[in-house]
Amino acid sequence: MVVEAKVIPFLQWLAGATLDWFLVVAALTAIVLTLVWLAGALRHGPAIATSTVGRALVAGLVDLVAISPKRVVALSWLAIKESFRRRVIVVVGVFIVLLLFAGWFLDPGSMYPARLYISFVLTSTTYLMILLSLFLSALSLPADIRNRTLHTVTTKPVRPSEIVLGRILGFSVVGTILLAAMAAVSCVFVERGLAHTHALVEEDLSPVAAPDGMASRAKKGRTDKQNNHFHEVYIDSKGNPRLATNRGHTHAISIDKNGEKTAYNIGRERGMLTAKVPIYGSLRFKDRNGKDAERGINPGDEWTYRSHIQGGTMSAAIWTFEGITPEQFPEGLPLEMTIEVFRTYKGDTSDPDNIPGVMGGLSLHNPHTGVRGKEYSFTAKEFTTDSHFMPRKQEPAEQDSTFSEDDDLFSSKEKDDGALDLFEDLVHDGKVEIWLKCLPNSQLFGAAEADMYIRAEDASFRANFVKGYLGIWLQMVLVVAIGVMFSTFLSGPVAVLATAGTLLTALPMVSKFMVELAQGPKYGGGPFESLIRLLTQTNMVSKLEPGLRTTVAKEADKVVQGGLSLISSVLPNFGNYGFSDYVAYGFNISGDALLVASTRGFAFVLPLFIAGYFFLKTREVAR
Amino acid sequence: MQSDIVIETRNLTKVYRDFWGRQKVRALKALDLEVHRGEIFGLLGPNGSGKTTTIKLLLGLLFPTSGQALVMGKDATDVGKNERIGYLPEESYLYRFLNAEETLNFYGRLFKMPRLVRRQRVSELIEMVGLDWAKRRQLKEYSKGMTRRIGLAQALINDPELILLDEPTTGLDPIGIREMKDLILKLRDEGKTILLCSHLLADVQDVCDRIAVLYQGELKELGRVDSLLKVRDMTELRASSLPPEAMKEIEEVIKRHGGETISMGNPTTTLEDLFLNIIRQSEEHPGRRVRGASSAKKSEAEKEVGSE
Repeated sequence: MVVEAKVIPFLQWLAGATLDWFLVVAALTAIVLTLVWLAGALRHGPAIATSTVGRALVAGLVDLVAISPKRVVALSWLAIKESFRRRVIVVVGVFIVLLLFAGWFLDPGSMYPARLYISFVLTSTTYLMILLSLFLSALSLPADIRNRTLHTVTTKPVRPSEIVLGRILGFSVVGTILLAAMAAVSCVFVERGLAHTHALVEEDLSPVAAPDGMASRAKKGRTDKQNNHFHEVYIDSKGNPRLATNRGHTHAISIDKNGEKTAYNIGRERGMLTAKVPIYGSLRFKDRNGKDAERGINPGDEWTYRSHIQGGTMSAAIWTFEGITPEQFPEGLPLEMTIEVFRTYKGDTSDPDNIPGVMGGLSLHNPHTGVRGKEYSFTAKEFTTDSHFMPRKQEPAEQDSTFSEDDDLFSSKEKDDGALDLFEDLVHDGKVEIWLKCLPNSQLFGAAEADMYIRAEDASFRANFVKGYLGIWLQMVLVVAIGVMFSTFLSGPVAVLATAGTLLTALPMVSKFMVELAQGPKYGGGPFESLIRLLTQTNMVSKLEPGLRTTVAKEADKVVQGGLSLISSVLPNFGNYGFSDYVAYGFNISGDALLVASTRGFAFVLPLFIAGYFFLKTREVAR
Repeated sequence: MQSDIVIETRNLTKVYRDFWGRQKVRALKALDLEVHRGEIFGLLGPNGSGKTTTIKLLLGLLFPTSGQALVMGKDATDVGKNERIGYLPEESYLYRFLNAEETLNFYGRLFKMPRLVRRQRVSELIEMVGLDWAKRRQLKEYSKGMTRRIGLAQALINDPELILLDEPTTGLDPIGIREMKDLILKLRDEGKTILLCSHLLADVQDVCDRIAVLYQGELKELGRVDSLLKVRDMTELRASSLPPEAMKEIEEVIKRHGGETISMGNPTTTLEDLFLNIIRQSEEHPGRRVRGASSAKKSEAEKEVGSE
């Protein structure tokens, strides 16, 4: 998973975001009030228009502030009752049936089964909940108005604000209950769908000779194939068994000796359902001559997310990590990385199962003293996450080494002579540098800041799963608020269409397009400048002739871009609330990310509620 | 001191316009009327005369095009006035997925009634409208009359000072109509003010103190029922057990005084009274065929004598 945007700490984000929000809300309010005043002034004159708008504002403030929680709860109860008496619970039944059928088609033997299962349940939940929320919220109030049941409510001492808020809360509660049920069913489905074990018998193992040629108890072999994969098995010279990681997971293994017979018990999968807590660092580069560079080189890749380092040179990608403590990492640093391998030559590809890898080197450096540990060379794994462990005891820089699975089979004497301690020699004030180099000439590694992280202790997968559902919940609440708002002044079907249309603009790729549109093109200017270029047949790059026409066009373009910027701020972006990828790829959703998303959601719901209130208040319910 | 005027409209006008602002229908034209505390006020008129529009303007369901509508001294669009009013719409627009108890409980919560008070009130009202046996059934299973009763109950949930009834007897059988009228009179006797809107003249005549007659959105007549209905140039005499000779003698007396006998004979009762009497007697004597009109007439006469 590519994490392009860093998660900003919540408090750091809040100040700037709050200001932006107030500015956008103030701008929208000013525009709306101006339009309303103009309409009133044209009809009744400016004095009456001013008085009417003023009275409406005051009455609106009173209505919004004097909301009765008891009435809101009563109206929410009505919405909940209506939903359940109309059998919304059927949605959970539909979901269960969907999962039952999906069980036939989802392949636990695929390359990334956890990702597949989790993506499926989260995506299907999202679609079902969004659809349900859309229809519930957009059709309820128009039905009440059409059936005139709202007459018996509005003739009670009920404020329009309470009606709108009651609906939003009520449908949100309904969605929450359904979502909780679907989350529980999904969790069971995922865990049971991925559960498997392997079998291992003595015949599957073969002895491994000790380095000194003497006999040893070390063995290696592989388990049987289940779900389209097996695991390499290693038993060290002391008889301790270990299963290698494959497809992102491993299993616990124990040995039962009963006389001559030895039974190998392999437990359930471990590490398949994870919630990794990555600690990201900041990235900088060294060029081919070893000098500091802002970025690496670009070998011609259109996507500039990654920068590249050349092999066989002093070029390096350097990550600086902070907050590294011995309490967190007593044994060493577990690293994970997803770097890109850019080959200028492929090498011998005649055997597709043995395409030669590209070697890289990893080393730890002290950012203050410059002391560095030995460089571990490794074969870079492409298109997958590569894991390495940098032990606490590091050999000094002069000694070369290579990561190998067989290293742990034979216990070696303590490497204390001249050994460096990670925290005493290489970490300074919690900071450490990790250098990545590409070793062979004419090959390159591509790296971005999020491509390497230190893996702290994993969070709970189930808690993370729930957090993923929290993201869906936020999307659901947003849909409910939008639907209720539209339903205050549109008929049912039109409100559904309007809500659906707004949701389309909330799709991440559409939101991104709107933002790019608001930022303006790199060449050619905005719509007015482009019009001049078209009419005068001037290309996109040449400067226009200075003059009144050009000035007016550029200023008009600024106004248009300002408007587009305002619109793109107003439209929600569902990408901000979607944590499905995090859960599917096994990354923990941080508290900061949740807080930011929740605050964003609330920042949208509040103006939608206020807008819905004003629409309902100014509407003749009996018309 | 509370004002005597509960409802007041000043030049109240409502014009329905289309989307483009063009006038479509002038539903109400400059209506001026007042409803006093403690009276039953009837709003009469044929279909489309503006009765329901007036009620909706008073309730804030519609906004006036011009003029003003005041209820309890407050503007009709003021939500606060709804604390003291009850409304029975033309059709009982209730949530059909709720049962009777839930319906009344819900409306009671909208008045922020404390739970125990609300529970008791709900129980009393269900008992009053005679639906205790069906209180747990959803309203979608109710007949029209039953729904109407629950509609009335919700209008009274907050023990309002002012009750607006739009076609209150619609959908009720004769017994229900009688009970509704009795209830309206009882509410008036308790000091409540009732604004009653109907096109069934007989119902209005039986209960209203004052009436306003609307036609095509305009007020055509306003006044007390008894004075509006009095036929001043005629005298009505009723007597029981008169032999034919006595009737002849009365005719001669009238002639002697310069009057003219328009008709003399047995008066007729109303179909409502006949029906109610038959039902009452059937309940008292099940399995027997009951007496008809004469019995009803006698009962009506006895009632009139009793009231004098």
